[in-house]
Amino acid sequence: MSQNNDRDYDVCVIGSGAGAGPIISELSKAGKSVLVLEKGPWLHNNDFFKDELACCRRSTYTPNLQDEQHVLEEAGYDGQWVSEASSESGWDFWNGNVVGGASNFMSGFFYRLKPKDFHLKSEFGEIAGANVVDWPISYDELEPYYSKVETEVGISGRVVAHKFQEPRSREDFPYPPTLEHPVVKIIDHACQQLNLSSLPTPRAILSRPANGRNSCEYSGYCGSYGCSSGAKGSARAALIDQAVASGFCELRDNSHVYKLKSDASGKVIEALYYDADNKPRAVTAKLFVVACHAIETSRLLLASDGPRHPQGLGNNYQQLGKNLLFSAGGSGTGEFHYDQLDRLDMDGISADALKTRGPFVNRGLQDWYFIDDKAFGGQAKGGLIDFLLRHPNPISRAMSVRWNSDDNLNWGDALKRDLKSTFTSAQDLRFEVFNDWLPTDDCFVSLDKNVKDKYGQAVAKVRLGYHPHDLKVGRYLADKAEMVLQQMGAKNIRSSVSGSPPANLVAGGCRFGNNIKSSVLDANCKVHDVDNLFVTDGSFMPTGGSVPYTWTIYANSFRVADKIKTLL
Amino acid sequence: MIKPDHSLLQLNRRQFVQLLSSSALFAPGLASAAQIAQAVRDPAYQNLADPWLTIAEVQQHLLPADAQSPGAEQIGALNFLQTMLQVNNDPQESEFIQQGVDWLNQLANKQHQADFKQLEPAQREVLLRRIETSDAGARWLSILMTYLIEALLSDPVYGGNKNRRGWQWLEHIPGFPTPSADKVYFKLGAHASSRRRTKA
Repeated sequence: MSQNNDRDYDVCVIGSGAGAGPIISELSKAGKSVLVLEKGPWLHNNDFFKDELACCRRSTYTPNLQDEQHVLEEAGYDGQWVSEASSESGWDFWNGNVVGGASNFMSGFFYRLKPKDFHLKSEFGEIAGANVVDWPISYDELEPYYSKVETEVGISGRVVAHKFQEPRSREDFPYPPTLEHPVVKIIDHACQQLNLSSLPTPRAILSRPANGRNSCEYSGYCGSYGCSSGAKGSARAALIDQAVASGFCELRDNSHVYKLKSDASGKVIEALYYDADNKPRAVTAKLFVVACHAIETSRLLLASDGPRHPQGLGNNYQQLGKNLLFSAGGSGTGEFHYDQLDRLDMDGISADALKTRGPFVNRGLQDWYFIDDKAFGGQAKGGLIDFLLRHPNPISRAMSVRWNSDDNLNWGDALKRDLKSTFTSAQDLRFEVFNDWLPTDDCFVSLDKNVKDKYGQAVAKVRLGYHPHDLKVGRYLADKAEMVLQQMGAKNIRSSVSGSPPANLVAGGCRFGNNIKSSVLDANCKVHDVDNLFVTDGSFMPTGGSVPYTWTIYANSFRVADKIKTLL
Repeated sequence: MIKPDHSLLQLNRRQFVQLLSSSALFAPGLASAAQIAQAVRDPAYQNLADPWLTIAEVQQHLLPADAQSPGAEQIGALNFLQTMLQVNNDPQESEFIQQGVDWLNQLANKQHQADFKQLEPAQREVLLRRIETSDAGARWLSILMTYLIEALLSDPVYGGNKNRRGWQWLEHIPGFPTPSADKVYFKLGAHASSRRRTKA
């Protein structure tokens, strides 16, 4: 039996990442009593180090897959769906189960959506086999909140006019750009020659101290690592720490919510959870907000059946968990060999400058965010190209030479030669392509019938199908990016575009809309037929845009916080 | 934004269990002459007994030292491996690594009438390449290689990368801050919580 000896809170928030942070912060500021239940531990700035084992090779910030996992379903060669538990495959879909969630581990590479992203169906028409719909809100409704994220979370950048620049209410970013790596000079030069607009990348990283947070220390290890200076705009450092300090917010870590209990009227009355000692507990609140990262949000609602919601909360029209989104695209690399730099037009950039570690490669291309090219097939939604250096993690780099060309393990003197060469002969400039992962009937979350987590609850099963159009757009963009590397004089240029989903870029599953029969949430991100339940992580997105989701998730959560304030 | 790879260390549980149940010799072999043991140079390695002595010899073969660069011994690879096995506290994994030593020595004796540690480098190479052709042997070597590479390039707080020799050799610029002994990964986060939970 669960015990409930808690007070009745105004709001109970489940999860503490980017979708939860603004709700927590805004409602605490408004003097509401807020309880946050986070399944992971509460780590602070001084718990984060540049430790590759901790960040990237052990399950430090995510559950052990034997305890909690996913079942992943991919298309087999014969057209059948083949499912495998992640404890078997090692394919880990967790993204940071700690206070602040996955926002602790982002590289803070932030872009807004563009006005047309809010009505892709009207703009570009139907794509057969895809469930593209217009959003129930416009860019103009979200713009003030995009702007709010710039100051509240802290975004550094510099606005440069270009053909697809979205409208802004603030002229420029509140913080100047983060320091830039010398390689940007060569990128800019090549783009100029190709008549492209190389754009400074906005980052949710403070370039000067503000609000009790330090400025970036430019260690050169950012993505995948928790931030020790507090400069990175995680929900924890930017929003939650202050909310807790205000006295209006209580945060319970190691508290895993497994069910939301609803009454005969269909309203949510209790959140049931296991505390740090694995004891079942319950808590009541006037209003509940779920933001557990897209897959887990759908899982929790699916597991939360009740008298008016026999198939899970908000699932009376079988929309829950559907139209899950990832980021489509791919990545590529070109090499700059230190002993061949004199043959290139390097703008005076030396090998030592190329080896610089610390500053960011703040450059991206949006020249093909919308495609208008007969060779492609006319007008279409395109995407974004982002440039970055190879991640500095040395173990993963060394692992890349652990097999030799005969597919045998590489060892002895040959291994040492390859290690020396891969570490010291060249700088790798990489790019990543981001384009829309079209929503389809083949990408969704359900509850697995067999596999349970350590609490005995059904784990999420995720079908990972993609639309072939995603690959067509991704390839188009990757070819453009390769062209830039070519112009720069990079060697050994290659790229890959695939339908393999990046587990750290997930959205959808509870898309918002005006019709209960084709969406889970209404335009305010309230579950259509539940009066006191909101979803504020990336689950609400019907289409994902062609940029990382985090800025949009933050902005939407600020928007929903304003709606909730009028209800309490 | 980095789209992470699947962890290479993560063992495929099903395959791993299958391997444990197939505890046959790595591969059948031919007999040949016994050889004299190679002297161990680092004092820390002098009082080792099997299985650790053989594992240390295998590690040194996989990552040999030369005039310009450190080998397994110089980076403390054995210390790192022992620390990790203790932290992982996974009897299946420890047993598999120890069993591998038995299998390796059985094959060495069959082919050379000597233990692995007594063989010349060229003989060791042939023997290790031989066991690599079996699934169990490849898996065993692969696990040792993974820990060896981690020992070369992880933070020295974990017992490898002694005096930052791995980073120095490969001209690697580490990030900062680096972890203190009380904030290593197994004292933080999911590891710390699960420990607390089992005590409760």
